[in-house]
Amino acid sequence: MGPLSRNPWLAASLLLAPLLTLAAPGWPRLAGIGPSWAVLWLLPWALVDGQLSGALAGAVLGLLLDSLHPGGASELPALVLLGWWWGRLGRLGPPVERSFNLGLLALLGCLLLDLSLMLQWLLRSSLGRIGTTLAGGSLDPALLAQPGWHASDLGMVGVHVLLARTLVTGLLAPVLCSLQMVLWRHQASGGWRR
Amino acid sequence: MPAPRWLRPLARVRLLQSWPWLLLLGSLLAVRLSKGAGLADAYALLSRPFWPGTAQAEWLRSARRFEDRARMAALEADNARLRGLLGLQRAAPARLTAPVIARDPAGWWQTLLLGRGSLQGVAEGQPVLAPGGLIGLVSGVTPSTARVTLLTDPASRVGVWVGRTRHHGLLTGLGTARPVLRFLEKDPGVVAGDLVTTSPASTLVPPELPVGVIQSVDLGADPAPEAIVLLGAPVGAVDWVQVLPR
Repeated sequence: MGPLSRNPWLAASLLLAPLLTLAAPGWPRLAGIGPSWAVLWLLPWALVDGQLSGALAGAVLGLLLDSLHPGGASELPALVLLGWWWGRLGRLGPPVERSFNLGLLALLGCLLLDLSLMLQWLLRSSLGRIGTTLAGGSLDPALLAQPGWHASDLGMVGVHVLLARTLVTGLLAPVLCSLQMVLWRHQASGGWRR
Repeated sequence: MPAPRWLRPLARVRLLQSWPWLLLLGSLLAVRLSKGAGLADAYALLSRPFWPGTAQAEWLRSARRFEDRARMAALEADNARLRGLLGLQRAAPARLTAPVIARDPAGWWQTLLLGRGSLQGVAEGQPVLAPGGLIGLVSGVTPSTARVTLLTDPASRVGVWVGRTRHHGLLTGLGTARPVLRFLEKDPGVVAGDLVTTSPASTLVPPELPVGVIQSVDLGADPAPEAIVLLGAPVGAVDWVQVLPR
């Protein structure tokens, strides 16, 4: 575990992501879709604090965010994976500091997160379709009554949501993640304790 | 009888002199035959600066709203009387007013968070109304908050019907601002502008709650016709809602 996770006050800043998800401020939106606050918090944390801390923070964030949603798909697996990946990047390679790199990492992370959600809904929809076919129905109207995203909706509206959220997250990342990284690197090097 | 020879030059001169009067007479005849075309248009053009302004239009709208409210009150009283005759009358449950403390009307999950929870009597499955009609159902409750899954969320499924044609359908969220109404019949006979309300046969929501109006109809959809529904309530702007106990 890295130095950040030993400070409970800094670890508590993780709560900002679900709180901002709930508050859903109106200004950082693209086509009505807001950014992924979880990605914007997790990226600098994992880059500074390492892969184990990143994966753990991703798991906690995933659990918190899943509790806020009605269900159907989980953000947890993708956030754990992202926390691990970004933690490795921060430890193994040269420090990621350039705004462009931060924006690109956030963009890829949000893309992966949203694709994982789409994949889960697609699997649910496909399993429902297979079950209906096995039960002997051709195109059962009951399938349409199955709640959640369906493949046809994901292909149009889902892609719109994915693109808008990914772009707005990638655009905000250089500003927000840079500031967090400066603050947390300062803390990791013993900033306030000195 | 032809004019005498000595009168012919005089008649020609008079005819040549009176052509403007003949033209005026012809114009008046044209106006008369066309029932005022041109005259009324000219009047409209000249009087345009003095036409009733937006204030008067607002008075008319206000009067219309008053008339609608009066008609609705009369219809509600009539409906209550008929339901009483049918033995369906129940005591009207008190509605709980709740503030919207968080909203996400776009994205993967389309929900509202209300500032009232199980401590105030909110329970899962209760319908939520806003000015304009039904907006969703309570999908999760904590002691002091309640999560509402909006009708636009892909997880939302509510039985509705079109009162004019008495055809039932399933209102399904698509993730966009306008849900789709999937009919159960091949020929629902609905047109754009028809009012959509909750189904009298629904066990999830009270009957006859207004939901929205049909915006467009796709009769060729498979496996059944579909219609895009414009919700009556402005989901993205509503600050207070009412929760109906079931």
